[in-house]
Amino acid sequence: MLDRDLKRGSTEMLIMAMVEDRPRHGYEIGKLIEQRSQGVLQFHIASLYPLLARLEKRGLIKGRWVEKPGERRRRFYTLTAAGRKILAEQRRTWKDFFAALDLVAGINPA
Amino acid sequence: MPDWKKEIRERLERLRFGSTREAEIVEELAQYLEDCYEELLAGGMTKENALRKTLDQLDESDLLARELKKIERPVSDEPVVLGARRINLWSDLLRDLRFGMRMLLKGKGFTIVAVLSLALGIGANTALFSVADAVLLRTLPVSEPERLVLFEWQAGLTFRTSGMSGTSITSNPPDTRGLSLFRYEVFEKMRQTRAAAPESPLSDFFAFAPIQEVNAVVGDQAEIIKGQVVSGGYYAGLSVQPVFGHLITDEDDKRGAAPVVVLSHQFWQERFGADPAVIGQQLKLNKESFTIIGVTPPTFTGTLQVGYYPAATVPIACEPLLLGERSRLGTANKPGSWWLNLMGRLKPGATYVQARDSLNGAFQTVSLEVMPPPLKANQPAQLEPKDYPRLVAQSGSRGMLDRRRAYAPTIYGLFIVVALVLLIACANVANLLLARAAMRSAEISVRLAVGAGRWRLVRQLLTESVLLAVLGGAVGVLFAFWGKSALVALTDKVTGILPSDVDLSMNWRVLAFTLAVSLLTGVLFGLAPAWRATSQDLATSLKQSRRTTGAMSRLGKGLIVAQVALSLLLLVGAGLFIRTLYNLQRVNLGFNQENLLLFKLQPQQDGYEDERLLQFYQQLFARLDDRPGVRAATFGRIPLIAKDICCWGDSFLLPGENEMTAAQHVTYRQTARENYFATMEIPLLRGRGFTAQDDQRAPRIAIVNQTFAREFFPDEDALGKRVTFIYGKREVEIEIVGVVADTKYEEQREEFKPLLYTPWQQEGGEIGEMYFALRTAGEPTALAATVRQVVRELDSNLPVTEVITQTARVQATLGEERLSARFLSFFGALALLLAAIGLSGVLAYSVAQRTNEIGIRMALGAQATNVLRLIVWQGMRLVLLGLCVGALIGYGLKRLLASQYFAEDAWQRRMAEQLYGVTGTDPLTLFVIATVLTLVALGACWLPARKAAQVDPLEALRYE
Repeated sequence: MLDRDLKRGSTEMLIMAMVEDRPRHGYEIGKLIEQRSQGVLQFHIASLYPLLARLEKRGLIKGRWVEKPGERRRRFYTLTAAGRKILAEQRRTWKDFFAALDLVAGINPA
Repeated sequence: MPDWKKEIRERLERLRFGSTREAEIVEELAQYLEDCYEELLAGGMTKENALRKTLDQLDESDLLARELKKIERPVSDEPVVLGARRINLWSDLLRDLRFGMRMLLKGKGFTIVAVLSLALGIGANTALFSVADAVLLRTLPVSEPERLVLFEWQAGLTFRTSGMSGTSITSNPPDTRGLSLFRYEVFEKMRQTRAAAPESPLSDFFAFAPIQEVNAVVGDQAEIIKGQVVSGGYYAGLSVQPVFGHLITDEDDKRGAAPVVVLSHQFWQERFGADPAVIGQQLKLNKESFTIIGVTPPTFTGTLQVGYYPAATVPIACEPLLLGERSRLGTANKPGSWWLNLMGRLKPGATYVQARDSLNGAFQTVSLEVMPPPLKANQPAQLEPKDYPRLVAQSGSRGMLDRRRAYAPTIYGLFIVVALVLLIACANVANLLLARAAMRSAEISVRLAVGAGRWRLVRQLLTESVLLAVLGGAVGVLFAFWGKSALVALTDKVTGILPSDVDLSMNWRVLAFTLAVSLLTGVLFGLAPAWRATSQDLATSLKQSRRTTGAMSRLGKGLIVAQVALSLLLLVGAGLFIRTLYNLQRVNLGFNQENLLLFKLQPQQDGYEDERLLQFYQQLFARLDDRPGVRAATFGRIPLIAKDICCWGDSFLLPGENEMTAAQHVTYRQTARENYFATMEIPLLRGRGFTAQDDQRAPRIAIVNQTFAREFFPDEDALGKRVTFIYGKREVEIEIVGVVADTKYEEQREEFKPLLYTPWQQEGGEIGEMYFALRTAGEPTALAATVRQVVRELDSNLPVTEVITQTARVQATLGEERLSARFLSFFGALALLLAAIGLSGVLAYSVAQRTNEIGIRMALGAQATNVLRLIVWQGMRLVLLGLCVGALIGYGLKRLLASQYFAEDAWQRRMAEQLYGVTGTDPLTLFVIATVLTLVALGACWLPARKAAQVDPLEALRYE
């Protein structure tokens, strides 16, 4: 249970962090996580989209269709105010968690 | 480029999201796949490999679908209908309901007014239907009640019986009479005939009759209960099974069999504490011991009139034991009377006609055999065959019907009233909906414009109105729960406008009725507004701004007119009944009804006879007369103004007349103590009153009322004249010694009728029960406990019954009129209120619509009063028209009720005959009601008009 929540909580945080600064579409989010984790964290369509949909349903991110001339329209996600608050909270929780892990087991995430 | 959407759709087939949402998801996913694919190509992969790798991602589409499904709701809540054709009716309905609910929640004020007015209408109908169901519709709680046959008979007017033949519910051909009761010998012969014929269409045949008052002693407590006698085949024929013990059989119904009694479940519970050990115990009925053999089931209350539920049932063979000399089986000196109800059970597939034909022969033969010899010269000894009695067979599924039929006019009358109220409520809600529809016209025209089908929109609007109605129905059922207790409370036990003790529980029939009424009203008031709302011309209504859409629709105006007309009818009805009640309460009864306490004693059922009975009454009188607070005590055989329990009539001969030749003269009777006239304050006009010396040894005398004297001795003095009463073979000649003033006898409505008083001591063996009357110094009811105490001191086995003040009894006799007056007043006021709300609401809406116009008028110099007049006139025009329409309908109704269209004793006729001292077109009532209605309507118009007059022209011109 803890494991599942942890995992889901962490991936949700990752997605929210990706759209914190500017709107991104789904594929871009997946790619960005892959790049930044240097290939360790990989998303594909079946794991990413339900997460996006759930976050949107909960009002943490918001999707909007954006059309650019000459391109097909895409759905861009941005972080909502509520999402911003949750993200900050989750960051703090994870920081405390890693600090605790470090204290106990000598892991330094940095 | 591969068709990503198709690939996704194939894999996500089972999602079934709402179409819009699904399209979005697919589009977004397709985009993702395309990005992925292009990147792979850009990375140098072959098209084939890139495609395979991209589609690999969809391998886990099961997971994708499942996860998405968890998040998305299966039916999305997109706004209703954009013209897309749909196959799924059910999801449409759900969507409509949800949307409707939202719309209702949005306009809370509207919803509350609408639901409440509908609830009142539907609730009243439900309450009344549960009464109608219990009284008129419910079948006997026995197996296959539809196979029961009730027998009656018809005969020419010359056919003679020996007393008590009942009333028939079937309509009779002219020159015949229809009767419902049978003589024992006739029943016995018919029973034997059936038993001897193996091919008879009847599997069972049995008889039953009420025994109105039986003195039962349980423990040391005496009380008067309702009883009945039944033939041995009664319970078997009805297939009623006992809860305990066994029920009466043919063995119990033989002459000389040990007396047995079966208890009703209710009596067993209330008086025996539901003790199963009562079986085999003795119960004293009219001083005789009966062995309790069984208890009937709780649902079975017998086959007699509705509201007559016998507590104790004994075999017919025991009837002489209970009634002694008064036995209706007949004695050596007295032929039996016609007193039994007959019922049978059809064999499967048999018909009423077959049942009738199988017994008609036996019935006719024995009926003619027992026909008494002619009493009058003009009566033929032998009947013509056309006058022979004939058997009639009809449905017995509901038990005896004539009493039920008596309740029908009241119930139907009330039904008309509540149905009118419901109609008014419907009109009201329809009008509110019309106004709302106009306000929603923008929404509706947009929907029509983007391609929503008209039928689809009508359905949406109808769903809303049916939803309203069902809400109204649900609240209405709550109202009905009150309403029923109110209806029963409105019912006087003494007169029984509606039968007391009927089971008014909610059952599926009542709830089905409510649901049907709700759905029907929902469609009724929703259809027209929905149709109108969707019939707008798209091009114009889209272009139009609100300021130019029309004021009041013709439909809306029509509804207002109809509401006013219906309210007028109800209120005039209320007015007429209030006046009727007022008139009846002021009727001069001929005696002083104030400060009189009445009660009834039946010592003869406790074994008092002859001299002992006389002594008992003397003693009781002496003790009561002495009590502080009692100014005078007296007693008489008949209570005055006590419809249904009174009345003692006799035929007699005038001086010089002979029984064989004379036409019959009939008079009401009373026998009373010598101080009766003084105590009741009935003035003695001529001659002398009774004295204590007028006993059995003295010559027989009588006092008559004025009407008697005038009617039978028009040109001479009644004093000193002798009239002759014939009791069987005994002739009794009585001399008239006094004339007293007229009194009403049975009820307030009647004309004064001939009445003959005799001194009570001279009635000898004839006297039995007596009604005591105490003229009290103070509040009469305060003496009730004293009365019981005094009687108990004399004889603790003697129940005191019908303790009531004379004024209460007089009021109770007016129960039906009071019920009508209250009922009509309440619903008339309600109707007026609804109509006023409707009028005000519609005008307010119209004012809002015309704000711009009003602004222009005022800018051009119209005064506030002009505007006020404009709006008030707009409403009052409709009100006046409604008054005229209502008056016309009322006039038509009056003509209809008076016409030959309805049979003489149809309930419609009897309803119209309830008025007293006032005609259906009483000008004063009409004037007062019309004035009240007009004033209320003026008030209803005034509110929106004042708002219109306060319009600021500048604001109004800017108003959009």
